[in-house]
Amino acid sequence: MQVCEKLQTSVTKFAGSAGFNSLLRRALALARAEVPSLQSLEVGLDGSLKGCEALAVAADAAPDGTVAIIAHLLGLLETFVGEPFTLRLVRETWPDASVHD
Amino acid sequence: MSPQGRDHRNGRVTIRRLPTGVPGLDEILGGGLPEYSFNIIAGAPGSGKTTLAHQIMFANATPEAPALYFTVLGEPAIKMLRYQQQFTYFDQAKLDGAIRFVNLSQLVLDEDLGAVLDAIVKEVEASNARIVVVDSFRTVVRKALSSASEMELQGFVQRLALHLTSWQATTFLIGEYVEGELRDNPVFTVSDGLFWLYQSVERNSIVRKMQIMKLRGQESVPGLHTFRITARGLQTFPRTFGLTNNKSEHVKGRRRLSTGVPDLDAIMGGGIPEGDSLLVAGPSGAGKTVLGIQFIAEGLAQGEPSIVAMFEELPNEFLQRAASFGFDLDKHRKDGSLKLIYLRPLDLSVDETVHEIVTAVKEIGCKRLVIDSLVGFEMALAPDFRTDFRESLYRMIGALTRLGVTIISTVEVEENFTSMGLSNFTISFLADDIVRLRYASINGQLRKVMMVVKMRRSQHSIDMCAYEDTSTGLVIGEPMRGYRALTSGIPGPWSLESGQNEPELSRAPKPRPRSPRGKNAK
Repeated sequence: MQVCEKLQTSVTKFAGSAGFNSLLRRALALARAEVPSLQSLEVGLDGSLKGCEALAVAADAAPDGTVAIIAHLLGLLETFVGEPFTLRLVRETWPDASVHD
Repeated sequence: MSPQGRDHRNGRVTIRRLPTGVPGLDEILGGGLPEYSFNIIAGAPGSGKTTLAHQIMFANATPEAPALYFTVLGEPAIKMLRYQQQFTYFDQAKLDGAIRFVNLSQLVLDEDLGAVLDAIVKEVEASNARIVVVDSFRTVVRKALSSASEMELQGFVQRLALHLTSWQATTFLIGEYVEGELRDNPVFTVSDGLFWLYQSVERNSIVRKMQIMKLRGQESVPGLHTFRITARGLQTFPRTFGLTNNKSEHVKGRRRLSTGVPDLDAIMGGGIPEGDSLLVAGPSGAGKTVLGIQFIAEGLAQGEPSIVAMFEELPNEFLQRAASFGFDLDKHRKDGSLKLIYLRPLDLSVDETVHEIVTAVKEIGCKRLVIDSLVGFEMALAPDFRTDFRESLYRMIGALTRLGVTIISTVEVEENFTSMGLSNFTISFLADDIVRLRYASINGQLRKVMMVVKMRRSQHSIDMCAYEDTSTGLVIGEPMRGYRALTSGIPGPWSLESGQNEPELSRAPKPRPRSPRGKNAK
């Protein structure tokens, strides 16, 4: 969930905390359709994911679940602001990561 | 990253457009509704806001991408559903999973803005709605302003927009607004699209117009567009006449079209240049419609589909008149190569008329069009549109000739014997070519005189010719020589001093040597 927190900082910079919050809620809803065990997760008012501890117990589902949430979050960003902007945001968040267009 | 939503040419995000389900509106919007946009539909009561929202909703809602319609203290939901069902777009099957109505009236009355927002968000999240309508949002705002500050209202609207967009919903807030409220209104500031509907009543005519005052992300067609509400819902008539993407390949004047009156063709320098607009101006009874009939009959004989837009005569009267000159136009009407458009409802807009004509032009591949007459056309318009008649004609003639149609428009001019007007509308600038018919008082007879006043881009005869309206159509006589002031209608001998006081035309008119009516003659 550190990935999510790092993205929160970058996204909040341009979209505001309410913007990040609502995007994360949407991403979580879309991810839930693929990974049912995410039902226990919720987005807090501060934009954090609540219930990660319970998810961690279901160890098999945890990696898929978090990947699905992040994928949908990035997918939503791409839908709304386009791929170049989203990639720039990812590069800013993880300057050392290898990200290709 | 998925390639979806990406414009590969420049990396910009592509905004998908949803169909509105309203004929003509997608063109006005520049291709459809921007997906995930947050829109306001504003206008006075009765202007068609709720109908527009329903039409858009029914066009887009599916079980996979459902729609939510929130009603708030506006038209009671039961009545709204009762009336909306009368429209043909109302698909009952969609109420089973694709469209859901939610009443928020009590919540708005009892709770604050936060609770209203929470309720909307909860419903949207639970249903995964892709189309959201709040009707009437004005009621929500009115309630909010009674207990909250304007800043709180702005915050509410922004959070609502943010959440619904994040949730990938395309939203419509409906409100009874007047234009004066546009300024500094947080609702309008936040919205991506602002659709303003107008309705005005002048004498016995109701005129409906729509303006896209704002549309982020794409180029809409500016200006006021007329629309009607029928049993099928709204139908808009874009100012672009449905020709936005029409790439005209027609070159004006590539060939000449015979008018069906060979001697007139001769004095016009070979007929009407294809794609031109010819104005035939003259007083009542001068033979304007007869010329129109001959032009159409000639085209049909050539295999050119034709249209007559008539505003005075009834189609049957027109066909009967054509038959009296020996032209069986009815057979062409029956085989589809001739279309008679009769328009006389007295509350037309030019855009609506042109829409009808353009649709017919495309349908039959029309090459020749007669508009009989511009005076009748103006009379058929709602009073509100008559003020824009010239501007509208300009757009109409331009649109039709770009389609490669050659047009004859007739216009009645009030004859006087001191001057020679070309039309009462000062619209002659719209015409590429002008033929003027007029009466002249000669030797105790009311004679008919024809002259070609203007042929754009080409030479023409400067003769003024006598003509007669005969049982076979117009027959053009010899040029009238030896007169002065023929254009005044009260000519005299060209020169009293020269003793030339008995010009040719004081005698019986001598027709031009009759050339055969051409290879296409009946």
